[in-house]
Amino acid sequence: MTKLAVVELKLLTREPGAIFSLLIPLFILVVFGSSIEPGDTVLLPMALAIAVGLVGLYLLPTTLATYRERGILRRLSATPVRPANLLVVQLLLQLVLALAACALLLAVAGTVLGAHLPTGVLPGVLTFLVGTAALFAVGLLIAALAPNGRAANGIGVLLYFPMAYLAGLMQPTDQMPDIVARIGEYTPLGAFRQCLRDVWEGGAPSPLLLGVMAAYAVVISIAAARFFRWE
Amino acid sequence: MAVIDVTDLRKRYADLTVLDGVSFSVEEGEIFGILGPNGTGKTTTVECVEGLRRPDTGSIRVLGLDPVKDGRRVREQIGVQLQHTQLPENIKVWEALDLYASFYGRPRDWRELLEEWGLADKRDARFGKLSGGQKQRLFIALALVGDPRVAFLDELTTGLDPQARRTTWELIKRVRASGVTVVLVSHFMDEVEELCDRVAVFDRGKVVALDTPAGLVDGIDADHQMRFTLMAGEMVELGGLPGVTGVTRTGDRVVVAGRGDFATAVTAELARHHVLVSDLRIDKRTLDDAFVALTGRSFGSTH
Repeated sequence: MTKLAVVELKLLTREPGAIFSLLIPLFILVVFGSSIEPGDTVLLPMALAIAVGLVGLYLLPTTLATYRERGILRRLSATPVRPANLLVVQLLLQLVLALAACALLLAVAGTVLGAHLPTGVLPGVLTFLVGTAALFAVGLLIAALAPNGRAANGIGVLLYFPMAYLAGLMQPTDQMPDIVARIGEYTPLGAFRQCLRDVWEGGAPSPLLLGVMAAYAVVISIAAARFFRWE
Repeated sequence: MAVIDVTDLRKRYADLTVLDGVSFSVEEGEIFGILGPNGTGKTTTVECVEGLRRPDTGSIRVLGLDPVKDGRRVREQIGVQLQHTQLPENIKVWEALDLYASFYGRPRDWRELLEEWGLADKRDARFGKLSGGQKQRLFIALALVGDPRVAFLDELTTGLDPQARRTTWELIKRVRASGVTVVLVSHFMDEVEELCDRVAVFDRGKVVALDTPAGLVDGIDADHQMRFTLMAGEMVELGGLPGVTGVTRTGDRVVVAGRGDFATAVTAELARHHVLVSDLRIDKRTLDDAFVALTGRSFGSTH
């Protein structure tokens, strides 16, 4: 299990997609970050949501569906080790990657850009965990349904852009039609961004939105487990 | 001792019968061939034996264990090379061997396997950069890294050039020589003829014959043909010789049809009457002919 984790970690660092998931949100942060006002509570939550969204909706499903497509899961089931171990290792590593991406964003924003960082650590961590769980659940469902790695990649991208728009990651929610903004708030990515913003503004994240994200995480994970095929 | 015992396996998918009563057993130390065209249940059978699939009915024993109930103990003692499986593009050869070795309780030293399988200079190469033959050798090395008692190799020379196939065959013989029982799934007649001690011939989800390759060929209930050209001397009557079923002559060309050891009788008779012949040929029966004789259709026509 340890060796599996080490090898998978090495493979992840050799994966260009993993580097992109780190660099794209950072690029957005730096480009827009040069013109933010002190005390801005919008940009950093946006960048964090983009980062976790990329890992959960794009990298996670593509990796898992490719492993199935290449018969790696099936090959593993012919050894004494269960292929479920590989899924667990991958989930943990992708979680670490999402954490690393967020840490990188916070570090750059906090030092170079002098952006506002929230004081409430616990609400921040809680929001990160619940939001990441909801987004990873969507990624797992994509991995379960996609026939191969390329399809998973396509579905991930196709889903990412409308979700990012609805979540207010493409344009600020106050410039969006009211109804669209309201709907967007209840999508996994939208709820995540909104809760992060609540934390950044020094408040507590909305219990309703946290509950919505937790519900997504549970319901969609169950669906993913139900539809997942090993081969 | 039988290392694998399969009795009356049956499996259906919707209205398609994949396995229709498959039985055979594999003895310790042999190379056992599972031969048949694609889509005749070979791979399904082997995957049931490996515990990857469950048959609807029938019983399987691998090293005395049930591959479903005692799955882990069975998988600890078998090595598998599956059809159509790949490794991650970016994994290095040594990493793959090291990783798979860690899955087993008493693995072999993977450095030895690197040497044995001619991969030592590819130790740090990524899987995606290997040639077809190198990938195939890596898959076999991975199948052996757990120090198995039985190795299952499924269509291992598909897609290899003739030279690489020959090399692989020699390596498989070495695997048997090291004491590992080998189950070889193939749709190549020449491969099975070259390597296997015994062969189960599959057709439409059934084992239609089980014998040594030579036994299968000998068992064909059909005429052999012997051809020659008359050089000197008067042609003698051959029709009455034991085993001969027909003689046709066109000018100096003679074709004698017969069964069993008729060729010896024919050449002896020719010699006794001082008949000189040239271009003497006896068509050699192959497993291809055996397959046609067993199933009533040609091997090539099914795939």
